[in-house]
Amino acid sequence: MGDCAIQIRGVSKRYSHFALRGIDLDVPSGTVLGLIGPNGAGKSTLLRILMGLVRADAGHVTILDHEMPAHEQWIKARVGFVSEDMALYGPATLAWHMQLVRDLHQGWDEKRASTLLDRLHLDPGQRVRGLSRGQQVKALLLLAMARHADVLILDEPSAGLDPLIRHEILTLLAASRHERRALIFSSHYGDDVAALADDVAFVYDGRLIAHAPASDLLARGKSLEQVFLEQVAALRGGRAA
Amino acid sequence: MNARIVVRLVRKDCWLMRWPLTAYILAALAGLALTVTGVPVARSAGITLACNVLIGVSFHVMLGPVLGERDRKTLAFLMSLPVTPGQAAAAKLASAFTLFLIPATIAATALVWLSPIDIPAAMAASHRPLWSHLLGTLGYYAVVLGAWMLFFSIVLGAAIVSESVGWTIAALTGLLFVFGNFVLQVLPRMRGVGRYLRALGRGQAALPLTIACEAAGIAAVVTIILWLQRRKTSFV
Repeated sequence: MGDCAIQIRGVSKRYSHFALRGIDLDVPSGTVLGLIGPNGAGKSTLLRILMGLVRADAGHVTILDHEMPAHEQWIKARVGFVSEDMALYGPATLAWHMQLVRDLHQGWDEKRASTLLDRLHLDPGQRVRGLSRGQQVKALLLLAMARHADVLILDEPSAGLDPLIRHEILTLLAASRHERRALIFSSHYGDDVAALADDVAFVYDGRLIAHAPASDLLARGKSLEQVFLEQVAALRGGRAA
Repeated sequence: MNARIVVRLVRKDCWLMRWPLTAYILAALAGLALTVTGVPVARSAGITLACNVLIGVSFHVMLGPVLGERDRKTLAFLMSLPVTPGQAAAAKLASAFTLFLIPATIAATALVWLSPIDIPAAMAASHRPLWSHLLGTLGYYAVVLGAWMLFFSIVLGAAIVSESVGWTIAALTGLLFVFGNFVLQVLPRMRGVGRYLRALGRGQAALPLTIACEAAGIAAVVTIILWLQRRKTSFV
């Protein structure tokens, strides 16, 4: 348990149109887990359950040896979360947001924030309303990373971004991996996952259909997308039979 | 409950609403200034302005800090910070009441001045001591402000619980036009209620009883909101 940053056991969540079913997953300390799956597969629901934004109907989530949601505030103080379905306050500047996070978060590191501002080419005085989507994602990453989060959870951070900003974000995440105990992120882009992840999990129709080291999956000489499509085809074939 | 976090979140909402809040305060002050002139046309304009402030600020608070957080996807950012759903709900209630009460207090003053009773003249004609006049005015003031706060808290409850603009507007307009008209047009014609209202006008036991009922109503609505919030399973 001690060397496992995130432990998920039997997590289920039922909606009228969709259900996440009995997810079991471990993210060992020092590793990066990439989640791959189509829209509506349950990736965002799973990541939201990890952050306490959605309560699971069943199962247990343990992050850094603390149960979510019983220790929600403790966990949130140590976990950074960025989602494509997340926005900053339009009329306020990035500096205002930095002050808000600083006031709510004891781990805020001013020096780190300043370094990230330079690295991500962000102007703290600019209003969020005037930022492009790519700049907003970079701002969200800055706000999550300047507080020295032990765990980073990213829900499709590169979705809809141009290749230049995607590359910039991936480079930043790769360069900073030694700063945290675990990173879990979802993406539609197999290349992004292959570039960062140690382990890969495939999510399809609310189920975890595969979980293996990225090197094992890539050793077959196929891209992660191809491996995922094969897994889905095999699952559909099995169901049809 | 961490009070420091709640206060910080209230400050955030007040800052984001600072310009509409300033506009409502100025409009409420203008309404009050027009009302106290005593000129019939100005009094009519003043009361219209005061009522518009009360309705406008209610809408603005519901659609901005209360329902807007989810629609604009800022709620996910806020809830990713070390904030529990309980703290977020408490802060939302506190900021909504703060944002409403500042302009509403001024607008309610205009409504008190619009009383059919000429308050300064009645005070001068009466042989009661000054403290009695002040107490009576404050009581009347509390009844007016309490009624608006009760109205606001019910709409706030509808907004927080339903998280729907449609249901919030339905609750607001229903209270204003259906229940409000019933209270103004029908209730005073009912024998028992008429007697009660006359007792209220004279500042008898009906006055503290009404204020207590309004306070209990607001407390009940807030308790129900917090109870329902605890049962929620999604905070984005």
